[in-house]
Amino acid sequence: MAGGSATQLDDAGVVRRVLGGDAEAFGVLVNRYRSAFGRYAVGFCGDSDLAADAMQEAFIRAYDGLATCEHPDRFGAWFFRILRNQCHNHATRRKTHTPLEDVPLAAEHRADDRVERSEIRAQVEAALGHLPAEQREAFVLRHVEGWSYTEMATLLGEREDRLRMRVHRARDAVRRELEAHG
Amino acid sequence: MTHQSDWRDEAHRYLDGDGPPPTEVRQREAVERFETAVRSFAESVPSLDAELDARVMAAVRFRVRRRRDWRWFLTPGAMSMRPALAAAAAVALIALSSAVTMVLDRGASPNTGGAIAVPAVSGGATVLVRFELVAPGAHHVTLAGSFNEWDASSIAFTPTAQAGLWSVTVPLAPGRYQYLFVVDGERWIPDPEAHAQVEDEFGQKNSLLVVGPRGVVRS
Amino acid sequence: MNGARWVVALALAMRMGLVPLAAQERDVRRELAERGAPAAFADPVLAQVEATRAAGLPAGPVADKALEGWAKHVPMQRVVMALEQLRTRLEAGRAALAVPGRPTPPEPVVTAAAEALAQGLDGDDVRQLAADAPSPEAGAAGLMVAASLRAQGLEQAAAVRAVQDGYRRGLETAQLYELPSAVADLTRRGMAVTDVARRIMEGGGLPLPPTAGAPGQAGGRPGGVPPGPGGQGQGTGKRRK
Repeated sequence: MAGGSATQLDDAGVVRRVLGGDAEAFGVLVNRYRSAFGRYAVGFCGDSDLAADAMQEAFIRAYDGLATCEHPDRFGAWFFRILRNQCHNHATRRKTHTPLEDVPLAAEHRADDRVERSEIRAQVEAALGHLPAEQREAFVLRHVEGWSYTEMATLLGEREDRLRMRVHRARDAVRRELEAHG
Repeated sequence: MTHQSDWRDEAHRYLDGDGPPPTEVRQREAVERFETAVRSFAESVPSLDAELDARVMAAVRFRVRRRRDWRWFLTPGAMSMRPALAAAAAVALIALSSAVTMVLDRGASPNTGGAIAVPAVSGGATVLVRFELVAPGAHHVTLAGSFNEWDASSIAFTPTAQAGLWSVTVPLAPGRYQYLFVVDGERWIPDPEAHAQVEDEFGQKNSLLVVGPRGVVRS
Repeated sequence: MNGARWVVALALAMRMGLVPLAAQERDVRRELAERGAPAAFADPVLAQVEATRAAGLPAGPVADKALEGWAKHVPMQRVVMALEQLRTRLEAGRAALAVPGRPTPPEPVVTAAAEALAQGLDGDDVRQLAADAPSPEAGAAGLMVAASLRAQGLEQAAAVRAVQDGYRRGLETAQLYELPSAVADLTRRGMAVTDVARRIMEGGGLPLPPTAGAPGQAGGRPGGVPPGPGGQGQGTGKRRK
C-alpha cells in the first residue's frame, strides 16, 4: 500500500484508500466522526452507553457498505444518515426518566448552585425525552452541536424552514418544562 | 397547538441568531434564563470515548481476516505450497479427521459450528457450489449464512458478463446450510433456487441448501 | 483441485466449524466482540448460551443463532426470545431421543432431532430414524435430511421413509445429503411434491447417482445452484447449463 499517513487525506481520499485494501485507514474516519457526531449521539439517545452502541453499529455498517457510498467526498453526510438510523433504533431503549420529585436532595443543599444547575439540566433532558424524535434531534444538533440551519439541512436532507420549526417547538417544550419546575 | 407561554417569534429569531434580544423585559429575562439552562445542558453532554474506535477497528480487522481466507481460496494459483509440506499437512489433517470421527463414535460431542455438517466424511472433501443472483440495480452483493457465521462482508459476489447477473463459487463440505444474499449491505433476500425457505426464528426466512458430495445436484 | 488447495480447503472447513474439532469450548463473547457487538447485546445473549450449556444441551446452535441475530441487526430482546425458543426445542429433541438406560446421544444428533421436530416430524419419527441409523453421524445427517425434506414440502411419512431407504441402501453419511437435491430435481422436472411422496411410499425411491466418486474437479464447475430470478431484478427464468 502506498506510504503516507491517511490522517492527512480528506474523507474521499481515506475512503478510496480503504476500498483499495488499507482497512486500517478506516480508523481515521472513525476518529473524525466520533469526534464530530459523538455528542449528537449522546444528546439524542440520552445515554452514553446507548450512544456508543449506536455509533459502533453505525461505523461497522458503514465499513461493510463502504463500496455503496456514492460520493466519498460527502462521506460525513452518508455516515450521519446511518448513525441517525441507529440512534433512532437505540434510543427506544432509553432508560425511563426519573421524575425530579423522586430524586432525593438533602434539604441543606437545596440552595446549592451546583445542585440547581444539575436540576436544570435534568429538566432540559426530561423535556427532550418527551419530544418526538425529529424535534429532539433538531434541538440537539442546534444547541448541543451548534450547527447552523444550513449545515443541518445539508446533513439531514431536509428544508431549513422545517428544521427551524422543529427547533422552535422543541424550545417551547423545554421552556415549558423549566417554567413548570422553576 | 400553541401555549400561552410559547414565545413570540422575536425570541426564537434571537435564539436562532437572526435578530436582537427581545425588547420586553420579562421576555428578555426568560430568554436569558433559557439560554443559560440550555448552555448548561449542552456543556454536560459528554463526547464518546476513544475506546469506541478500538472496538470498531477490532471488528474491521476481523472482517479483513475472514475475507482474506475466502479470497485466497477462490483465487486460482494464489499460493504455492511445497509438495512435502502439503503432504505432511494432508496426513496431519486426515489423522485429525479420523480422530474426530472416532470421538464422535464414542459419543463425545464437540459443539459443531454453523451448519450441522457431516464431520470429516472419509477424506473430508469439500465441493464447490456456485450461487447466482440476478440483481441489475445492485452495487454490491455478498453471501451470508451458516457457513460463514452470517458474516455479510466476507464472501462477495462478482458481476458476470451477463448484465445484472452476479455469482460466487464457495467451497462447502456436505451438509445443510441456511443463507441469504445481502444486497448493498442492507437488503437480506432469499434465494428462490434454494431447496426450501425456513423460519429464522426472528420472524423472517432463510434459504436452505443441502449439499451432498457431488455438490447441489441437478440433472 | 490441486493438493495444496485440498489441504487448505479442509483446514478452512475445519476452521469454519464445518468439521467439528475435538472440544475446545467456544469463546462466544470473543466472537461477538470481534463482530462489534456491544456488551448490551452480548451479556443477555451469553446468558442464554450459558443456560443451554448448563442444561447439558448443545450450546453451539444457540451461539450460532446469536451470531446470526447480531449479523442481521435483530434487536436484542428478539434475539434472546429466539434463543430461549431454541433451547426449548433442543430440550424436546433430547427428550425425543431418550431411551431409558441409554446415555444421551451426541450433541449433533440432539441438534438434528430438534431441527426435525421444528420441521414437523414427531417424537416417534425422531426415535425411529435415530434407531435405524447405522451410526451417530448417520443419525444426525438423517434427521437433518428428513427435516430438510419436510421443509421442501414432502409429507412427514415420505420424509422419514426416504431417509430410511437411504440407510437400507447403505448410503454413506454424506450421500444422505443428496436426497433433497434429488427431490428438487424431480419437482423441477414437473413432478408435484405429492407425487414424489407417493413414489417414495410406493417403494420407487429417489433417483440417486451410483456411489459418489471424486468431488468437484479442479477448476471445473460442478453442479451449482441454477440462477434465480431473485433479488431486485426481474426474473429471467433462464436455466443455465
